Amino acid sequence: MTQTDRGEGGGADALSSPFTPGMRDNPAELGEYVDGIVGRPLPVVDGAPVGDPGPSPEQEFATEWRNAAYNCFSSGHKFCREVCPVMQVTRNESWTPTAFHANVVAMEKGDLSVEDVAADYVNCTQCGACELRCPNTLFTGDFYRFRTRTVDVVKAVRALAVDQGVHQEGWRTWNARTDERTHEPVLGDTPVSQEHVRDWSEGLDLPLGGETVLFVDCEAAFYRTSVPRAVAQILRLADYDFGLMGEQWCCGGPAAEMGYVDQAKRFARHNLDNWRSTGTKRVLVLDPHDYISFTEDYPRYFGDEYADIEVVLVVELFAQLIREGRLTPSVPVERTITYHDPCRLNKRKGIWKEPREILRAIPGLTFNDVDRVTQWSYCSGGGGGLPVEKPELTAAISERRLEKAAALEVDTLVSACPWSERPLSEAGAGQDIDVVDIHELLAQSLGVEVGGTTRGPSTGEGAA
Amino acid sequence: MNAGSDGRSIGYRYAEQHDPPDPVRVSDVAVTTFEHVFEVDPRLMERWVLQQQFPNWDSLRIMNSRHDHLDWMHRHFAHRVVVGSELLAEVEQEGRG
Repeated sequence: MTQTDRGEGGGADALSSPFTPGMRDNPAELGEYVDGIVGRPLPVVDGAPVGDPGPSPEQEFATEWRNAAYNCFSSGHKFCREVCPVMQVTRNESWTPTAFHANVVAMEKGDLSVEDVAADYVNCTQCGACELRCPNTLFTGDFYRFRTRTVDVVKAVRALAVDQGVHQEGWRTWNARTDERTHEPVLGDTPVSQEHVRDWSEGLDLPLGGETVLFVDCEAAFYRTSVPRAVAQILRLADYDFGLMGEQWCCGGPAAEMGYVDQAKRFARHNLDNWRSTGTKRVLVLDPHDYISFTEDYPRYFGDEYADIEVVLVVELFAQLIREGRLTPSVPVERTITYHDPCRLNKRKGIWKEPREILRAIPGLTFNDVDRVTQWSYCSGGGGGLPVEKPELTAAISERRLEKAAALEVDTLVSACPWSERPLSEAGAGQDIDVVDIHELLAQSLGVEVGGTTRGPSTGEGAA
Repeated sequence: MNAGSDGRSIGYRYAEQHDPPDPVRVSDVAVTTFEHVFEVDPRLMERWVLQQQFPNWDSLRIMNSRHDHLDWMHRHFAHRVVVGSELLAEVEQEGRG
């Protein structure tokens, strides 16, 4: 706590006697105190001497991000370290949130170029643990309306790298293929395409367009098709009207996460225009990554143009429908489970009650829960493009997550994020733990024969 | 759209995210908006460090997470909760002794 003892007779020396500007009990002379402790940042554009090459792209970049970077660099709490999934498995100091901010400070001073550090920024799942656990967010972020922004800083540095022609090969190829096919290449060498984006709904006879549409992410649409099939059939069971998009493209979020911002914006524009063309006002989202795109990226891209679109997370909707009695899970599911809080729901959105509400409504389950705060340090490693560039890191993070589940002596790990379920399933095989999506589990308890696959079309196996 | 489990409305609408409840002054330098959300007087954030764009959900997320975290800390590390006035009385007692 700031000490406010000003010594005998008070005083007006703001360096030796910290004070709070604006307080009515400040000495009168401090009321007129001119803040001269910190110099203004040196101009990096105007006033450069003749012959000066001017600011580097990194320095121009740093003018936008210097406050966010110094917010971390000048505090140095480092509570972020032990909740960071990458740090937990690598102990690499260059891959910590602290380093990601310190690099920006060094770039501002001209000591680093983005080429020097771009590869370090691969090592982040953008789970948001560091920025939430940072005291500058958790204890003062809402007070000052100024919080730690590691995810934004990482995305911005990645975008700067792409802008400067510094590419990570895996990401460059991934986004080029996404651009070509309008969907992420989640099936590896098996191409995905626009013609097949609704194949998951085969036999369900779902309408197109309408006031409410269900948006299905690339992983669920092509790889874990059991998830959208479960969601669609549960919605139908509850008499909830919805359609599918006429021409759905990838949400663009992964491209934005990897630094390919122009591509992300093009994809976002396409989707918004498509919603407009069908009179859509409400978008149902089953994937937490899409939920981030639609509630954080799209508002930044479109501003007021986005005002009439409502984005609804399916897991919240299902909890509500259960509460209202429109869904009543009644088929017992005899499993011993624990729940994996998807990072983008728990840490980045504060959504953790509703999934537990759903699970507690399913009869037959033995639920060995782990609280949401403990799970700030859990992650599947499946986000932020990490599995594309560093699959071995994703596997190590998932392995660690499954060890936590195994210690609870469960037979099933339930998640609410299709992107987490592939790496978790692969790690779960070694622990003899099934990884099941919460929507699949709810559908089973509602007596729905879901269909679809949980491991892609080539090696597909039936879902619940 | 009806309320979620904690009484808040489910569903994100851009237009609802940028106007918190009217601020109520709680001290010379602070205001309150949502219940349990206290904010610095924004006039004090106009010079060196400007405030960030802060949608309502983010303020509420941080406030709720802080409470959850403090509960978690108490559950894990506090054997008992002591009222501050008790401690002060104890110190005063020791001073007299």
